Amino acid sequence: MTVVERNNEYYSSVIFLNAALPLLKVIVAETKLAQSFATKSGKIQFAFTDEAGVKQGCHFSIEEGEWQVLSAVCPEPVDVELYFADRQHFNRFFKGQSKKLPQIKGWWQLGLLLPLFRALLKMQALLSAKVAPPDEATQLLLIKALFYLLSAGISQLNKAGHPVVRKWTQSSPDRVFAWSLTGHPDIAAYVRIKAGNSKAVRGSYERSQPFFTMRFADPESALGILLQTADLLQLTATQKLIMEGAPEFGAKIGDMMMLVGELAQP
Amino acid sequence: MGITYTSIETTKLSTAEVYGRRLTELAAQDERIVVLTADLAKSTKIGSFMEKFPERFYNVGIAEQNMIGIAAGMAKCGLIPFTSTFAVFNSCRALDQVHSDVCYQNINVKMIGSHAGTSFGQAGSTHHAIEDIAIMRSLPNLTVIVPADGTETANAVAAALEVQGPVYIRINRGFDQVVYPRPDYDFTLGKAIELRAGSELTLIACGSAVFQALQAASELKAAEGLQVRVLDMHTIKPLDKEAVLRALKETRRILTIEDHSIIGGLGGAVAEVIAESGCACAFKRLGLADCFSPIGYHEDLMSHHGIDSNGIVQAARELLQLEFEESEDWGDEL
Repeated sequence: MTVVERNNEYYSSVIFLNAALPLLKVIVAETKLAQSFATKSGKIQFAFTDEAGVKQGCHFSIEEGEWQVLSAVCPEPVDVELYFADRQHFNRFFKGQSKKLPQIKGWWQLGLLLPLFRALLKMQALLSAKVAPPDEATQLLLIKALFYLLSAGISQLNKAGHPVVRKWTQSSPDRVFAWSLTGHPDIAAYVRIKAGNSKAVRGSYERSQPFFTMRFADPESALGILLQTADLLQLTATQKLIMEGAPEFGAKIGDMMMLVGELAQP
Repeated sequence: MGITYTSIETTKLSTAEVYGRRLTELAAQDERIVVLTADLAKSTKIGSFMEKFPERFYNVGIAEQNMIGIAAGMAKCGLIPFTSTFAVFNSCRALDQVHSDVCYQNINVKMIGSHAGTSFGQAGSTHHAIEDIAIMRSLPNLTVIVPADGTETANAVAAALEVQGPVYIRINRGFDQVVYPRPDYDFTLGKAIELRAGSELTLIACGSAVFQALQAASELKAAEGLQVRVLDMHTIKPLDKEAVLRALKETRRILTIEDHSIIGGLGGAVAEVIAESGCACAFKRLGLADCFSPIGYHEDLMSHHGIDSNGIVQAARELLQLEFEESEDWGDEL
């Protein structure tokens, strides 16, 4: 049996399966797409067959417009499946490097398929943004999506055994690293790490002050950093970016953010 | 997406820099204030004073003993010298001069020991000050202050100026988490500040441990509904004995937390008060357990020595004889 090599291709697929694709739920819930799914029920799956011949994937269970994300191949038949030939095809498609469509199983389920494609296009447009979107609603949605992508991405890489992330979490006591946007308490996320374990959570950590928080003063500065269009030092000096915690640990979480970004981009 | 930066550009966050700025403000109002450093002007963030008042700034070179001796002479002439060096050099290398030139003569020298505790963790044990509170509080006439953050450091510097006699202010390397977002709280020398009310346990902390104690109290409240009192014991000498005795009687359980040896520091001072009261109390001192520290980042060393919020929570559980179930749910929210 072929051993699946834990390389960047592997970790990119982990990010897309378990951190990026779950954002579909957020994007649908927070845009007009919610109406398209309002009365819909069914199961949608994204999958590919890995180097060892094992099917990998994630799926969404939708009940009357309510989405549930499940990080595994569905054990039962699904209504719609986007099936990619292999891991490379899967990664290249979501990195925007391949226009080759996946095999669509259940294509006749147009009631699910058409809004799903609209949601995928919306997600692609959002996550491939190079500059801040013009309207504030889209800016806020993008920030939220990126916070969720970063927290889940870091945690998923840890769970998948990425050596850099794993080394960091294994040596760490119980600590919470958070991202937040001033004035928008609903736009926040954190990752808790402890002795090799990790957990990504949406929202704010309420039990105490996180070990480290990257707090942005406004959407412009948040997107400036997250999209790498602004000068970090200038934003820090002008209090647009507030690091609550020791700078060494800000640098460390910055490294982890970079890692997720590199694996999710072409 | 991502972020890269170095700590060099974030010096504005440093507690030591707050001290430098506040002292510069005070010096504008009081011409008697002079500053001496032992070739550590940059590290101790006293550069702002040097730029504003170059004629009142003295760099004595790497000679801490001389610095204290010169400061004592200046004080004898009516000046108010503030000395700046690392806490370990102030309390150990220059101890003879602190003892004989300053404290014995009860003269008006203000000594600022920075990079205290394990806050300069990467520099190694030669630069860790883990005995300074014990040493300095045993010296007659000397007031000892351990501020919790930058704001409290500014208040401590102003309060030290009001004291007619020697004062030792122990501060960290910097980057302390904020305990006091505003300066206008009730800071009085010798009076502990109750940061959180509670009846089941009291955490008495100083310096960087205050923030950790607050976080631990929040965690204990969230996890078990415990009402934990938190005292910022910023003045180690004179100690607020009334606050200790009140905690003793009202909560019956006390944990002290300090970035210092458990021998002779805050824990020792509180233990003396408890022992002399004749009252029984569940009591534990958290700090460096009579050992030198390994090298590392301050936060990691605090964790290593059990004086971060996790360590305090664990010690509280043991003191209260409570069994807590660890959350084993490590599934990501998707």
